[in-house]
Amino acid sequence: MERELTHDEAAELLGAYALDAVEADERDAIEHHLNECPRCRAEVADHRTVSSFLGSAGGRAPDGLWDRIAGSLEEAPPELKLAPVVPLNERRSVSMRVGAAAAAVAAGVIAALGAQVVHLNNEVDKMSTPERADSALLSAATHALADPQTQRVSMRSTDGQLAAEVALTPDGTGFLVADKLPALPNDRTYQLWALANGQKISAGVLGAQPRVVAFRYAPSGLSGFAVTNEQAGGVVSTENAPVVLGTLQRT
Amino acid sequence: MAIDGLQEASDGALVLAIARYHQEALAEAYRRHGGAVFALARRLLAEQALAEEVTQEVFLRLWQQPDRFDPERGSLRSYLLAQSHGRAVDMLRSETSRRRREEREARETAEGGYDIEREVLDLAIGEHVKEVLDRLPPDERRAIELAYFGGLTYREVAARLEQPEGTVKSRIRAGLKRMRADLVDAGIGGVWSES
Repeated sequence: MERELTHDEAAELLGAYALDAVEADERDAIEHHLNECPRCRAEVADHRTVSSFLGSAGGRAPDGLWDRIAGSLEEAPPELKLAPVVPLNERRSVSMRVGAAAAAVAAGVIAALGAQVVHLNNEVDKMSTPERADSALLSAATHALADPQTQRVSMRSTDGQLAAEVALTPDGTGFLVADKLPALPNDRTYQLWALANGQKISAGVLGAQPRVVAFRYAPSGLSGFAVTNEQAGGVVSTENAPVVLGTLQRT
Repeated sequence: MAIDGLQEASDGALVLAIARYHQEALAEAYRRHGGAVFALARRLLAEQALAEEVTQEVFLRLWQQPDRFDPERGSLRSYLLAQSHGRAVDMLRSETSRRRREEREARETAEGGYDIEREVLDLAIGEHVKEVLDRLPPDERRAIELAYFGGLTYREVAARLEQPEGTVKSRIRAGLKRMRADLVDAGIGGVWSES
């Protein structure tokens, strides 16, 4: 199939394409069309979501498979493992120096934060990729914290010694700033919980040393947030006492 | 749907963390979706070792290219299952496994036919999804099942069902659209209503 497909020809094939049920040459021709046609891209995404419901058979992966996957991560390209570790305060000053440009970018970043597809302008492009991503996240969090429409939730430990803060933007993006929490051993992780409708809902596994984390939240029934200390990998539900806890102040 | 919405959406934050090289985030993605990714590959390939290979590839790819996941286009689960399906189908269509499949199908034919109905009933799909599937016109349902679970191209489905290729192509597309509309009506449309 050398020639290009018309829109109608491509559209006819989208269902079969989304189910991987086309021949290789047809697939190439459709993908060529998809590059240029947002309407067809959206349709394929819808078909894939439907098919994922069919394919959600659940079940357990065999024991030991994760260990093999985790083991093979060591073979990832070396530059991926060399993300510079910069203390939060230093990073913040980097973001601040970028100043107005970064703040403007951050507004866009907040919208795009669901994924790590963060494209900053060339001004900040000199940084390595991981650092650029971190800096974009920090810019976005900084920007969110500065926004008067952002709702802030302060979390504290019962003895008042530990603190972390959540910033909730009106668009449904939340930021957890947890740079003051002490690092955990490697086999432990912090986990963030949204408290809503009397339940604790996992909002993310944070790692042993979280700094700034973005997450999405649903406002309905939300009453507060908690961070717990869990086994590495996180848990589905917890009975552990929160490390820090904070409730939403209704305004 | 607030709870589902939150859980679905925090996948985005998870991928963000994966892109920041947090291995715990990949472990969490695996904990949430590893079983489904493996089960789908296993269903298509019918061979545990190959399904494990697919699962490993899918999660390694998420680790190495997290930006290929676009939350605007659907959930992380949907993305990972599409990856698993695509990779499994590639393997299925490779020469050796084509031969193996033909042997398996010959065996199954001898044992009384390929029972796609049973395969679908085996699925631990939610009641709504099953109802939606049940409501499809039988021709559409059969074309989708043969393509998705059988790993056949629409041309192969057409040959199997002795129907014109164009008809099968249209039925697959129409059936998927119908299911989508029904799923949204049934309130399983969290993935779509977010955007």
